[in-house]
Amino acid sequence: MVRKELLKNEQIERVLSPHPLSFMKLQTLCIFVIVWGIVVWWLTGFSEYAGTFSGSNWYPVILWGLVLLLIGVIASLVAIQWTIFFLYLGVFLGAVGLIFWQHWENDIELFIFIYSIAVSIVGFLIVEAYRRSHKYIITNLRIIFKGGIFTKRERTIRYDKIADIDAKQGVLGQIFGFGTIIPVSQSGFGLGSDKTMAAGGVEVGGAKARFFGFAGGGKEIQTPIARSYYELHGVYPYKDVKQLVEDLVQSHVPTQYQKEQVEFQKQQVDIQTQMRDLLHKQVSDKPRRKAVKQSVEEEEEEETEEEEVVEKVTRKKTAVPEEGFPPEQVDIQQQMKDLLKKQKTVRVNPPEEEDIEEEEIDEDAEDSRKEKEGT
Amino acid sequence: MANVPLNFDVLFVAALAPILGVAAFWFLQLFIIEIQKRMLSRLRHRHEAFCRFTNYIGILFQTISQALGYSVTRSGIASFQVTVNYGKVEPKKEKEGIFEWIARSFLLFGPFFIPAGLVLLVSFFVIGRGFVFLSPVQYTFVESLTVFWGSLSTFAYEWAGFLCNVDFFNPLHIGFFVVLLFFGLGIRPSYIGQERKEKIDILYDLIHIKDHLLEKPLYIIAIVLLLYVFYLLSLFLNPVVYVGLFIIFGWMSLTAIIAILLTFPVLLLIKSTDVIQPHWKIIPFITVAVSYIVARVFFIYFPTNEVERVSLLAMLFSTILVTIVLIKYKRTNRFKTTPKMKPMRVADGKKRTSKK
Repeated sequence: MVRKELLKNEQIERVLSPHPLSFMKLQTLCIFVIVWGIVVWWLTGFSEYAGTFSGSNWYPVILWGLVLLLIGVIASLVAIQWTIFFLYLGVFLGAVGLIFWQHWENDIELFIFIYSIAVSIVGFLIVEAYRRSHKYIITNLRIIFKGGIFTKRERTIRYDKIADIDAKQGVLGQIFGFGTIIPVSQSGFGLGSDKTMAAGGVEVGGAKARFFGFAGGGKEIQTPIARSYYELHGVYPYKDVKQLVEDLVQSHVPTQYQKEQVEFQKQQVDIQTQMRDLLHKQVSDKPRRKAVKQSVEEEEEEETEEEEVVEKVTRKKTAVPEEGFPPEQVDIQQQMKDLLKKQKTVRVNPPEEEDIEEEEIDEDAEDSRKEKEGT
Repeated sequence: MANVPLNFDVLFVAALAPILGVAAFWFLQLFIIEIQKRMLSRLRHRHEAFCRFTNYIGILFQTISQALGYSVTRSGIASFQVTVNYGKVEPKKEKEGIFEWIARSFLLFGPFFIPAGLVLLVSFFVIGRGFVFLSPVQYTFVESLTVFWGSLSTFAYEWAGFLCNVDFFNPLHIGFFVVLLFFGLGIRPSYIGQERKEKIDILYDLIHIKDHLLEKPLYIIAIVLLLYVFYLLSLFLNPVVYVGLFIIFGWMSLTAIIAILLTFPVLLLIKSTDVIQPHWKIIPFITVAVSYIVARVFFIYFPTNEVERVSLLAMLFSTILVTIVLIKYKRTNRFKTTPKMKPMRVADGKKRTSKK
């Protein structure tokens, strides 16, 4: 499956999935539901405070629901993720709906206990399915991230596009040896900012809302943050994977020498392209092909005999008008000559040469220019 | 002022009695910690994550103690960092002299008593019994020692009663038991490093403490003098105060010892399951929970006295039995090595197999 998606000369280094405990934040939500359900069952049915809740059948549900929603709000504010609150709200409303539907008002304590366990098990299964939907493929050219249960998401990042690597390892990660690695791309993918806000209105007395409770928090600082299917989330063994990714990124980052070489080659290509264009332009004008040949031959001679460059240029300059070339052709020939000079200058100035040599060449170029100007 | 016959014993020797009592329990604590550390270091190669977890708790307490030392001496805390392998606290101000010495004392002695003190505080609310300060009558050395021992034995008796009747169907008891195990795995001053280090043992700790104490003998003399003044004041005002102070330290040591002793069956169970085949080694752990639940449900339909105690016994008995049976019939291959055996290859690149 994976091999079909590979590029030419691409090889798989590692195929990874998140560690089973790496989604502990989501699993904690399920654990809390199960623990709180058991506590409520014990508190309202078996503890010494059981009599306090004997006034109404609905007291256990109210206690259970209020604490659940309160924890949901706190967790949402802390984690800056309101999904938690709505998830708990859904669990609470589901319980109330089931009680009304099936008329389980008389066995509410037992219902809360069983319902909490059932909901938690479903939650654990969903988290596990979500975890298993993730797949990270580290190849020698790029990292492929895949994830999502219903909507399949995929991200690919090439190593030469990675600007920064953010790595984090929590306490559980340190104990079990897993951690999260976020490759931040040059475009800033992998960075994000968090913001949350909570507000509530309370009606006191009249028909209008007289009092408003307001709470909120925001983080505008850019931090490395990404969805679990856009980062190497909870990968094991963390240290090895981090080392591998860093090595691959390093191997794709060009060194200073390589950069200079690339720049040099670019210049060469530009010059050659321009020359080709000029030649095309010249060749398209048939009656003057001879003149073109003549000029090209002269240019070749220039390359071989560096000392006579200035003399030949002067001769050509004087010769062209004598043969009656039109001004356009003269311009083309002049441009080509300049390009050849430029190319020659680039060649004699390789990027790795020392500054002293460069200075000498500059001096020579200046001398020749002066001589040219003199002629 | 208490009606006390002022003789040499009462004036000088009796003051040493509770100190000696605390020292004795502290040495016992050190000894049990040492046994636990050795058990953990033997488990390390197979249960790296578990040892990292216990390390983390130990380092956390150690770092908290150090931070507390800097807070008490008003040095301030510039940075606080706890990882699985090390803890780091940096003070805002580098103080010298007595402040530095006190901060270092917190680092050395804190891990023995601070987590134990926290457990003691929780146990006060959960158990609520056994916190008795007995008062001496004659104020002699022997009587002070007897009073110290009496308070601690009452405390230990109540603890034993709680542990024998612990109700795992009570969330409060479950929570407290988890806290006990959690703290029991971390109440130790030195840690088991990333690599196994033999030198970090009881002697290593004691040598460090001895060096620390001998480093500033004047401070020790000052502390002894302060304690003696405190003893004299309490002798004439309320003698229970002086003995009571050391009784609290004794309770802390005893709590730490109980917490560590409770971890021994867990460590033993982990070690025992190592010799069971991989797919079967989970069975003893499941038996722990299932046997207790079955016993409790059974006693709902057949009510009897001492339900919790009998259920606990049933749990322990069935777990031991199941583990022994599995060790006998589902023992793992003894010759299995920890590193995986890579397929051997000959020079031509073909796998060497036993089949021909």
